[in-house]
Amino acid sequence: MSSESIVEDRGLRAWWSRSERKVVPYVFISPFYILFIVFSVGPLIYALYLSLHRWPGTGPMRHVGLGNYTYLAGDPVFLKSLWNTVYYAVGAFLFILPLALVLALLINSTLIRIKSLFRIGYFLPILTSTVAATIMFLLIFNNEFGLINQGLASLGIPALKWLDEELVKISVLAVVTWRYTGINVLYFLTGLQSIPPELYEAAQVDGAGTWAQFRYITLPQLRPIALFVGVVTMIGSFQLFAEPMLLANGGPNDASLTIANYLYRMGFTNAKLGYGSAIGWVLALIIFGLSFIQLYLFGAFRKED
Amino acid sequence: MDDTLSRRAQRTIAYGFLFFILISMATPFVWMISNTFKEQSQIFERQPTLIPEEPHLRNYVSLFVDFDFHKHFLNSAFIAVVHTFSHLFLASLAGFAFAKYNFPLKNFLFLVLLGSMMVPLYTIFIPLFVLVIRLGLVNSYAGVIIPGVAGAFGIFFMKQSMEAVPGELLDSARIDGASEFRIYWQIALPLVRPALAVLAVLAFMGSWNDFVWPLVVLRSRELQTLPVVMAGMVSLYRMEYGVVMAASLLSTLPILLLFLALQKQFLAGLTVGAVKS
Repeated sequence: MSSESIVEDRGLRAWWSRSERKVVPYVFISPFYILFIVFSVGPLIYALYLSLHRWPGTGPMRHVGLGNYTYLAGDPVFLKSLWNTVYYAVGAFLFILPLALVLALLINSTLIRIKSLFRIGYFLPILTSTVAATIMFLLIFNNEFGLINQGLASLGIPALKWLDEELVKISVLAVVTWRYTGINVLYFLTGLQSIPPELYEAAQVDGAGTWAQFRYITLPQLRPIALFVGVVTMIGSFQLFAEPMLLANGGPNDASLTIANYLYRMGFTNAKLGYGSAIGWVLALIIFGLSFIQLYLFGAFRKED
Repeated sequence: MDDTLSRRAQRTIAYGFLFFILISMATPFVWMISNTFKEQSQIFERQPTLIPEEPHLRNYVSLFVDFDFHKHFLNSAFIAVVHTFSHLFLASLAGFAFAKYNFPLKNFLFLVLLGSMMVPLYTIFIPLFVLVIRLGLVNSYAGVIIPGVAGAFGIFFMKQSMEAVPGELLDSARIDGASEFRIYWQIALPLVRPALAVLAVLAFMGSWNDFVWPLVVLRSRELQTLPVVMAGMVSLYRMEYGVVMAASLLSTLPILLLFLALQKQFLAGLTVGAVKS
């Protein structure tokens, strides 16, 4: 090795020992940002580009401006999937969240001593994959030999068609409720346990009853966790995919079809990649918009004092 | 007297409701297990029977002989293990950087990280698939694993626990001349082992149960994972309910066992994100 390269090497080493701590954190975090740019930001922009074109996946693209979006606004199947998805989201807010809150309040109350049995028992369903969970419910909701109809028959009540157009959305909601109630119980329990007990003691001294304590201490104190649970539930509901697909293949007559199901049908089954991407961007705008509204309503943007 | 009575009544109602929900939630699971031991004709019977009259294992045998269940099980396991280790490494490394260094743009970069969790999967679904085809990763495990390997939640989660690692410990290692990577690998990482365990379970579960992305990336049957194959069994023209239920049960068992083994750390870890937000 020549003396020159030793000097150079020494210079490099000196530089490295001076700047290692400045450079290293960027190196450590760079994998995430490289993957994020390549596999999220890039596709997000490419989706916008695709949504302005007609493209069957091969051959030349045809620029159609906002044509996909204007067509979408009048596409009866898309509007149906939008309505179904809103139905699921509202249903999740009306069934899952109140049920989870009541269960969490009961488990947290002094009435109940064996708490972990319920906490863990309610949580187990979410460990199953959406595929396995939905398959399980095929045996519950089947129109002919489903467990519910067998039960009804043994009581002499005529069978209901759980997977037909009128009831299929309720059945999908039941699967979703089964799978996601437990995790929300845990979230609410975390929120309840972080409320300082002194608040309740002070209220009892002031003679506040159970309802007043719930209304003026528990509910306001649960606000941060409720916001978190609300946003997660909303984002999850709007991306529902496997349950309606496996329970009823989106049908019958598109009665259970979600936006994500329709996007998949357009993009992958029908090879309309431009149209599918437009559906994706509309979905993103809905999710961003609703998240923003939720954050605003819960005062996340208000300055704390 | 009256007061204690009403409290007893309250307690009875509370337990009654909690057990009612618990039993309702257990029913589909129990019913599925029972039906894995039944013939198709017994499943179709009008009168439901919890304990099958002539229980048999033919559904399980068929699962392995006709559907190569063990191969798909191994596919799922391979993907989940590779995903879990890569994710733990990348997430803990970045979490360490965010917790233990100050550098220009740190807050901005962290906001970008949090914001990345808002990108809906289905919006990027089609272009991501086009990209994976262009990269030649379609129908490969790399195509399933790489796009989702550096999740923002994992980094956020590891940052929380890396913050508890004492700075003096790191500084004394620096004085001894250890490189920054060695400080991460040999000092910080062993100290956050409990958090790594939680994240490992979460990552493994997420990958094991993942359905939509493997469904589009893995085209050939011999590469496919359990959820994809199970979904395919559902849409067969004549569905073998007992076999499908057996698949459903066996595919759930690894996660169930993992959870029951680690439930304490697991439940504590799951709520970290919720509390901190």
